[in-house]
Amino acid sequence: MRYLMAIVFLVVSIGVNAVGEKFFNQVIIANVVSAITNTELLIDSINQANSTSAKMQFGNLVSSWKKVETTYLLGDLNEDYLDTPRYIDIFHNNNEDIKSQLDLIINSDDALSSAMYKHSHKTINALEYILFTKNLPHQRVKNMALMITKSIKSYLSEILNGYKAHQSKFFESEQYASAILLNTLVGGTYKLKEWRVGDVAGLSKKFKNRPNNHRAEYAISGNSMNAIKAILATQAQVINSPDYQDFGDIARQFKASKEINQAISALNDSIVNASSMSEFDFINNKGKRLYQSTNRLMKSYYISLMDRLGFVSKVLDADGD
Amino acid sequence: MEINPFEYLMNPHKRIYWIFLLSSLVVAFVFLKCHPKQKRIILSKKLWLHPSNLLDYGYFIFFIFFKVMVILPILMSAKEVALFVNITLLDQYGFVRIESFSYIQIMALFTLSVFILSDFTRYWLHRLLHFVPWLWEFHKVHHSAKVLNPLTFYRVHPVESLLFGLRYSLSIGLVAGVFIFLFGSLVGIYDILGVNLFAFMFSLLGSNLRHSHIKLGFGNIVERFLISPLQHQIHHSKNHVNTNFGGFLSTWDYLFGTLTLSKNTTNIKFGLEKMQMKNFQNLYGLLFSPFIAIYNQIKDKNFMLYFVTMCKLQRLKREQQ
Repeated sequence: MRYLMAIVFLVVSIGVNAVGEKFFNQVIIANVVSAITNTELLIDSINQANSTSAKMQFGNLVSSWKKVETTYLLGDLNEDYLDTPRYIDIFHNNNEDIKSQLDLIINSDDALSSAMYKHSHKTINALEYILFTKNLPHQRVKNMALMITKSIKSYLSEILNGYKAHQSKFFESEQYASAILLNTLVGGTYKLKEWRVGDVAGLSKKFKNRPNNHRAEYAISGNSMNAIKAILATQAQVINSPDYQDFGDIARQFKASKEINQAISALNDSIVNASSMSEFDFINNKGKRLYQSTNRLMKSYYISLMDRLGFVSKVLDADGD
Repeated sequence: MEINPFEYLMNPHKRIYWIFLLSSLVVAFVFLKCHPKQKRIILSKKLWLHPSNLLDYGYFIFFIFFKVMVILPILMSAKEVALFVNITLLDQYGFVRIESFSYIQIMALFTLSVFILSDFTRYWLHRLLHFVPWLWEFHKVHHSAKVLNPLTFYRVHPVESLLFGLRYSLSIGLVAGVFIFLFGSLVGIYDILGVNLFAFMFSLLGSNLRHSHIKLGFGNIVERFLISPLQHQIHHSKNHVNTNFGGFLSTWDYLFGTLTLSKNTTNIKFGLEKMQMKNFQNLYGLLFSPFIAIYNQIKDKNFMLYFVTMCKLQRLKREQQ
């Protein structure tokens, strides 16, 4: 009987403590599948040379890709996948001027397979430039857009297969799983605050008092706010979902209710601030408010992170010797 | 914050945690088996009921209340320091994430860094308490113990307790802030019952014998790395009071020229000079005599300054005449 009780307790405690399979499937896997579906729809639009539809599908792809990126932890499960996101997206990862390179490729007669030899030529950033500044019905432009979208799809499929192959590592250690998940949230929030909002609004250290809408992540297509909203929505999936055991529930079980509630409050504020913004609002007070709320969100994540290191939040023996 | 005197026995972060007391008892038992001559002193009623020890017991009770009600509320936690360090580094250098270390390597590096920096700052604060005249007045409280028992560890003036608490927050907060900046939430600690692995191991090795009459040395070689109980007892002797400042490691004493090995030392007499001892006979003396001594020093200094100035003025007048 005692053994039975112990086993029941063990099973219950594992179920209670882990960011479970439900979260993994409903958030991480579901978001990758959705991004792959969006690439397929985009490929159809490009094949039809339907510029309007392609632009709309691009917006959907941006949104679903940002969701994948927000919880990207495959690199922590297997280091072979550390660089995969950089083959899809080069925002802040590459200093090249890909626009002039893409112009050269469009105007040349070289085979695309050899002309588009760089990873950066086949990213979502390159695709944005091609779809929103070039004439899609033009055969070479169309072929380039197809090549890029297929490349993105192939990397997304690689990510999906990677997650499936290495998911056991995520489930086997709750401590490690929540550590890498929190790391992803912290890193993503810093980039959101500093790169996606601060740099544009002239509030980051690098661009202090020099606001410029052209620094926005998807300034060409006007999808920057779409991307930010997707990032924030995904964070809500991670820390504040009623449908499954999420990171917020675990934090509460570890008596960090105050900290996680602060994070949820800052996240909700950020979502409200973002929802009222258009692409041109970065440089006014709305941009400033979003910067401040995402800054609060980042700090609350760091505080949660420090609470995991129990001894850091304690004042230990204030002793002598 | 609740006051629970038994917390000191039940909390692994405390020096007199029951396991550390038990391990010290076991070590003492083995030691006395090998050195039966010392049994007479160690087991004598006279020692355990010595006025100095009785004062230690009483002061410990006072200390528990005073610490919870006065010291802890005004101390900042290591978490606040870590957050400050982390945000400052983020503002200064932007987002950094080192990915070339494994989870296990980061944990091992952090555990070791926390232990070493904590011991290093402990050495220097202890040394400053001896060499800065006004700090020495406070630290004299601890050295005024004529005989030693494990509770002598807590015979420290509240000001000293505050300084040690501040030292803890600053040193742990600094390491944690830097590590979180570099590695995010992958930072963790190898611990036993929540205590740093190294600190726990060394505490097991008879840390409570430091304040006892068990003359346990580790031999010349080990004592250059680890402080033995006998080395700390030597530190409490009148003749070697400015040596052996180390907490767990004696490396700092060895490096900075304050090491005294136990083999070279005989004639250990605890306490201060007779004239000074009379100021520390009761709770009032322990708490207020440091302030009175400092006040007298300042007064004497001012008087001396006044005297020297007057002499100079007199001399100037004479010269002018």
